[in-house]
Amino acid sequence: MMLIRIEPDSEIPIYLQLTHELIELMARGKLKDGDPLPSVRSFAADLGVNMHTVNKAYHELERKQFIQIIPKSGAIVSSISNDMAQFHHERITTALQPVIAEALVIGMSDREIKAVVSSIMKDLRGE
Amino acid sequence: MIHLLFIVIIGFIVIMQTSIPYLLKRTIAFGVSIPEGHTDDPSIASYKKIYAIVSSIVGIAGLIAYVSWMSGRSLSGEKVVLAGLFIQFSILFVSMALYLYFHAKVIQLKRAKQWGANLKQVRIVDLEARAKDEMLPSYLYIIPMLITIGLMIYTGTQYHLMPERIPTHWGPNGQPDAFTEKTPFSVIATLLIALIIQAMMLMINVFTKKSGIRIRATKRQTSQIQQLSFRKYTSWFLFLTTVLITTLFGFLQVTTIHAELENAMLMMAAPLVFLVIILLATAAYAFKVGQSGSRIEVQVEDDAITGITDFDDDRFWKFGVFYMNKNDPSIFVEKRFGIGWTINFGNPIGYLILFVPILLILAISFLV
Repeated sequence: MMLIRIEPDSEIPIYLQLTHELIELMARGKLKDGDPLPSVRSFAADLGVNMHTVNKAYHELERKQFIQIIPKSGAIVSSISNDMAQFHHERITTALQPVIAEALVIGMSDREIKAVVSSIMKDLRGE
Repeated sequence: MIHLLFIVIIGFIVIMQTSIPYLLKRTIAFGVSIPEGHTDDPSIASYKKIYAIVSSIVGIAGLIAYVSWMSGRSLSGEKVVLAGLFIQFSILFVSMALYLYFHAKVIQLKRAKQWGANLKQVRIVDLEARAKDEMLPSYLYIIPMLITIGLMIYTGTQYHLMPERIPTHWGPNGQPDAFTEKTPFSVIATLLIALIIQAMMLMINVFTKKSGIRIRATKRQTSQIQQLSFRKYTSWFLFLTTVLITTLFGFLQVTTIHAELENAMLMMAAPLVFLVIILLATAAYAFKVGQSGSRIEVQVEDDAITGITDFDDDRFWKFGVFYMNKNDPSIFVEKRFGIGWTINFGNPIGYLILFVPILLILAISFLV
C-alpha cells in the first residue's frame, strides 16, 4: 500500500499536507522518478476534497520541480536538475533556521538535535 | 397470479427491512458515523435489535392482513394492486420513521458521550488502490445498447407485417392490456425506453468507477479488500440488471412483432422469472457483500493503530441519508443506510444522470 494521510480539520492547509505526504513517499523511495501520480479527479474523489486542492498541491510540487505536469496526460515524478538542487539547498537551509533556533532556545544540545535529525532520516529510509 | 407477485414482494421487503441493521458496517449506525472505540457500543446494539424486531412485527402483521383480506374473496386485479402497494408503502413508512427516531437517538448518544473527542480525524488514501479496482469496464454496457438498436432496425424491416394495434402496457399475467395506433414511433417506443435505461446504467457505471475509494483509517488492508469487493460485486449486480432488462424488453418487442410466437405460458412466466431472479440476486448481493463489503471475510490482520479515527463527515449527510458535498468530485457515493450507491446532491451531474432518463421515459409514455 502507498498511503497518504491527511487531517481535514488541521490548521495546515490540505494542499500543503498533500505536498508533504507526496514528498515523503518520494523520500521513502516509494514514488520514484517517472512514476505517475493519480489524476486530479480520482485523487480528489478518494480524499473527498475539492479538485482545486489537489491541483494546487500538484502545481506547488511542479513549481519546486518534484513533479512534471504533462498536459492532458497527468503528473509524473521527476528528478531535480542541478540548478534546482542548489536553489532547494538554500531554501531548506532558510526553512530549517527558525526550527533550529527554537531548539536552541528551549535548550536542546547539539547532540540532541543531531539525534532527532538522524532518527527522522532513519524512519524515512525505513531502517 | 398478481396476489402471489405481491405477497412475494412484500415478504421480500419485510426480510430486507428486518435484516438491514445487520448488513451494515459497524462504523456507521443509523446514518451517524461512529468513532473508533465505540463501534460495539451496547446501546447501538440494542437500537439495532429494536429496529429489527419492530420492522419484522409490522411487516408480518401487514402481510397477514393482506393475505387474510384477499382470501375467500374474488377481488379485481386493480384492488389487489392498490392494497398491495398500500401495504408496501406502509411498511416502508414505518421503517423510515423508526430509522429517523434511532438516527436522532444515536446523534444524541454520540454528542452526550463526546465520542471521538480525543481522537485525531484522518483520511487515508492508498495511491495503489485504483490499479486494484475490478469494476466492470464500461464498454460492456454498450453491448446491450447495440442489441436494442439492432432490434429497432429489425422492427423497421418488419413494420408492414406488424399489427395495427401496438401494445404499450403489459399486465401482471404478461398479456398486453393497453394499446396504441401503429406509427413509426409507437412501434419502437418500448425499445427507446430500454435504450434510455441502458444508457443510464452505462452512465452509472462510468461515474461509480470514478467515485472515491474510501478505506478505514484503523483497518486499512481489511477495509480496502472489502471496499474493492463491494465495488466489483456492485458493478456485476448492475450489469446483471441491465442484461435482465434487455432480455425482458427484447422479449416483449419480439412477441409484438411476431404474434405467432406468443405463448400464454411464456408470457406469464417472463415477468415472474424476471422478478425472481432480481430478488434472488439482490438478496445474495446484500447478504454476501453487505455495506462496503463488510460481510466479506478477509484473512488479513491489520496492525493495531490507536489515537486516530476516520474523518467525521456527518455534516454532509442530511438526515444521514442525503449526501450533499459540493467539494467532493464523486458523483456517486456509498449509501449510509443501505447497500449500494447514492448520489451526491452537491453535484448537478448526479441529478442529470437520474432525472433526465426518468423525464425522457415519461415523455415517451405520454407521446405514445
